Amino acid sequence: MTDLYRKEEQVKKEQLQEIITDLTRPMNNTGKSFKIWIGFLLILICAGGIMYFRQLVNGLAVTDMRDIASWGLYISAFVFFVAVSLVGSLISAILTLSGIKWATPLTRIAEIVAVAGLFSALAIIVIDMGRPDRLLNIFVYGRLQSPIVWDIIVVNTYLVISLLLLYLPLIPDIALLRKNMGHKPKWQQKMYKILSLGWQGTQDQFKLLNLSITALMILIVPVALSIHTVTSWLFASTLRPGWDSTIFGPYFVAGAFMVGTAAVVIVMYFIRSQFKFKEYITDYHFNMMGKLLVLTSLLYLYFNINEYMVPAYKMKPLEGEHILGLFTGDFSLMFWLVQILGMILPIILMIFKPFRKAKPIMIISVFIVIGAFFKRFLIVVPTLLHTYLPVQNYPESYQHYNPTLAECTITAGSVAAVALVISLFIKLFPIIPIWETAHEKGISNETINN
Amino acid sequence: MAKLKISLSIILVIFSLGVFSQSAQWMVSSDNAKKPNPLEINPKNMAVGKNTFSKSCKACHGINADGKGRIQSPSLISETFQKQTDGVIFYKITTGKDKMPSFKAKLKEEEIWSVINYLRVLVNPSAVPPAVDVKLELSADDGQKSITAFVHSLDSTKQPIQDVDIHFYLKRDFGLMRIGEPANNTKADGKVTVNFPENIIGDLDGKVTVIAKVENNFLYNDTESAIGRKWGTALVSGDEKFNHRALWGGRDKSPLWLLFMANGIIFGVWAVIIYVIYNIFRIKKAGKIFIK
Repeated sequence: MTDLYRKEEQVKKEQLQEIITDLTRPMNNTGKSFKIWIGFLLILICAGGIMYFRQLVNGLAVTDMRDIASWGLYISAFVFFVAVSLVGSLISAILTLSGIKWATPLTRIAEIVAVAGLFSALAIIVIDMGRPDRLLNIFVYGRLQSPIVWDIIVVNTYLVISLLLLYLPLIPDIALLRKNMGHKPKWQQKMYKILSLGWQGTQDQFKLLNLSITALMILIVPVALSIHTVTSWLFASTLRPGWDSTIFGPYFVAGAFMVGTAAVVIVMYFIRSQFKFKEYITDYHFNMMGKLLVLTSLLYLYFNINEYMVPAYKMKPLEGEHILGLFTGDFSLMFWLVQILGMILPIILMIFKPFRKAKPIMIISVFIVIGAFFKRFLIVVPTLLHTYLPVQNYPESYQHYNPTLAECTITAGSVAAVALVISLFIKLFPIIPIWETAHEKGISNETINN
Repeated sequence: MAKLKISLSIILVIFSLGVFSQSAQWMVSSDNAKKPNPLEINPKNMAVGKNTFSKSCKACHGINADGKGRIQSPSLISETFQKQTDGVIFYKITTGKDKMPSFKAKLKEEEIWSVINYLRVLVNPSAVPPAVDVKLELSADDGQKSITAFVHSLDSTKQPIQDVDIHFYLKRDFGLMRIGEPANNTKADGKVTVNFPENIIGDLDGKVTVIAKVENNFLYNDTESAIGRKWGTALVSGDEKFNHRALWGGRDKSPLWLLFMANGIIFGVWAVIIYVIYNIFRIKKAGKIFIK
C-alpha cells in the first residue's frame, strides 16, 4: 500500500517537474529571434526618446497640434492604451469570478498586457504636455470638480490594483522559481527571494492569498469600468458635437473590452508559437477567446449603431456637420476602413469556427487592434477640428491635423514600450501560472511545496 | 503609403506650378504701368506708408515684407518684385488677385502710394535721413480728463518738436486700445492733447494706464511713455458667484455632495488596497512561523 502511494507520489513529482521545465522554458532559452525582437523594440524606443528630447527642447511646435486641434495622436494613443489595459479586469476578474475555468492560463497574459498598457498610458499623458515640469500642478492646484483630476486618480488606482493582481497570484510560482532557478544570475535569485515572501504554501498563507486575490478581483471590476468611463467623460463632459453623448461611458468600455481581448489573442499567439506552448495554450483557448471577441465586438457594434445612428437620424446642424464629416467628408475613408475592417468584417468572419483557429484569429485581432487605434483618432481629432466661434487671421494649416514625424515616432516608441514590458516579463516570470496548471492536473499542494 | 506620398507630392508640385504660372500671368496694361507715383519720399509720407503696411500688409507678407507672414506669400523686397514700376504695384494692390485682396475700397490712394514708397525705402534705406532720439513726456489734467504729450529734444535746451504723430493707447488686460484721433501731430509748442474717453473700466480702484508712443516714424526713433490715473470706473468683480460651493468654484469650493462621493469612493477603494498590502506582510509573517 505505501509502495503504491509512493509510486503515485513519484509520478506526480515527475509530472510537476515536467510542467516546471516546460513553463520556465521561455525564461531559460533565449533564442536569436528574441534578441532581434528586443533590439528592434529598443531601437523604436530610442528613436522615440530622441524625438521626445527634441520636443522637450523645441516644445510642442514639433507636433502638428495647434490652437484648433490641441489634442492629437498622443491623446488618441492614451485612450487606446487605457482601452487595452481594461482587458486585465475582464479576463482575470470578470471571467474568473464567473467560474470560467478555461481562462486560467490566460490571466497572467491579460494582467501584464494591462500593466504594460497603463505604463505607456501614463507616459504619453506626460509626453502630451508642453511643460511636463508643471505636472505637479495638477496635485497642487487640481480641483476635485475636474474630470482630469478624476482620471489621474482612477488611472493610478487601477495601476496599483493591476500590479497587485499581477503579483499576488505569482507568489507561489516565485517560490517555485526560487527553488528551480539556481543557475540564474545573483540579482535575479535575490529578486525571487524577496518577492516570494518566504512562501511555504501553508494553509494560513493560502487562505490569506486567496482572500486578497478575491478582494482585488471584486474591487477591480468597478475600478476598471470607472477608469474608462472617466476617460470618456474627459470628452463627454464638454458640449462639443461628437463628444456630447450620454452613452460615451459604456461605448468606451465596450470598445475597450474588444481591443483588449484582441490584444491578448495576439500576445497568446506569439507566446504559443515562440515557446511551443501548444499543450498549454490550445486551439480550445483560441476558440473560446474568439467567441469572447465576437461577444465584445457585437456589444461594441451595438453602441456604435447608437452613437452614430441617433444623431444621423436627427441631423442637428452641428452634430450633422460632424457626422457628415465622418460619413462622406474628410475622414470618411478612415472611418469606413475602421468600421468595416476593424469591426464588421471581423465579427462576420469570427462567427465561423475555422476563423477562430489560432492563426486566422490572430490576423483578425491585428486588424481589430489597428482599427481600434484609428478609431480613437477618429473620436479625438475630427471634433476638435471644428471651430464653433468665428475665427480670423489664423493660418490655413490650423484647419488640418496631420501628425508629424516626431509624433509618429514617439507614439510608435510608446507602443514598442508596451511590447518590451511584456517581453521582459516573459523572460523573468512564468507567463503561464505554474502552480495553477499543476493544480488543475491534480497535483496536490503538498507535492508542490516539497 | 509610399505611393500615396509620391502621388501627394506630385499633386503638390503641379499645384504650386499652377500658382506660379498664374502669378506670372498677372497682366497690367501699359497705361496703368506708366502711372507715376504722385508722392515724394519724405518722412511724413513714410510714416503713412509704414502705418499702412503694419495695418494692411504685415499679416500676410511678414514684418520684414519678405513673404514670411502668417501665410506663405510673395516677398516684397525681392528683385523680381522691386523691378516692377510703381504703376504696376499700385494696380496690383488696387485690384488684387487670388489670395491678395483688393484694397481699392479699404485704403486711400495716397496710402497705397505711400506704402509703395515705403517698400522702395525698405530695400534702399539711405533714401531717408537717419532717425534721431527724442524725449516724450506725459502730463495729465484731472479736471478736463485729458492727457498732454510733450515731445522735445534730448539735450538740456528741451527744444519742442513740431509735427510728430503721437499714438495714444489705453492699457487693457490683453493688449492696448487705441484712443485719440488717427493722427495726433504735435503743435508748435511740441505738445498735443487727447481727451480721455468715457465709460472706461479700470482696475479695482478705477486706475487706468495711458501709454503714448512715437512709432513707425522715420524722423524719430520709437519711444514711449506711460501715465496712470484713477479716471476709470472701478471694476466690480463677480466674486459672489464664486463664493459658494459650486462645480465652477475653486478647489476649496467643491460641492459637498461631490466631496462626499469622490472621497468616499477613493477611501473605500484604497482601504481595500491597503488591506491587501497588509495581507502581503501577513503572508510573509506566516512563512517565518513555519520555518521555526
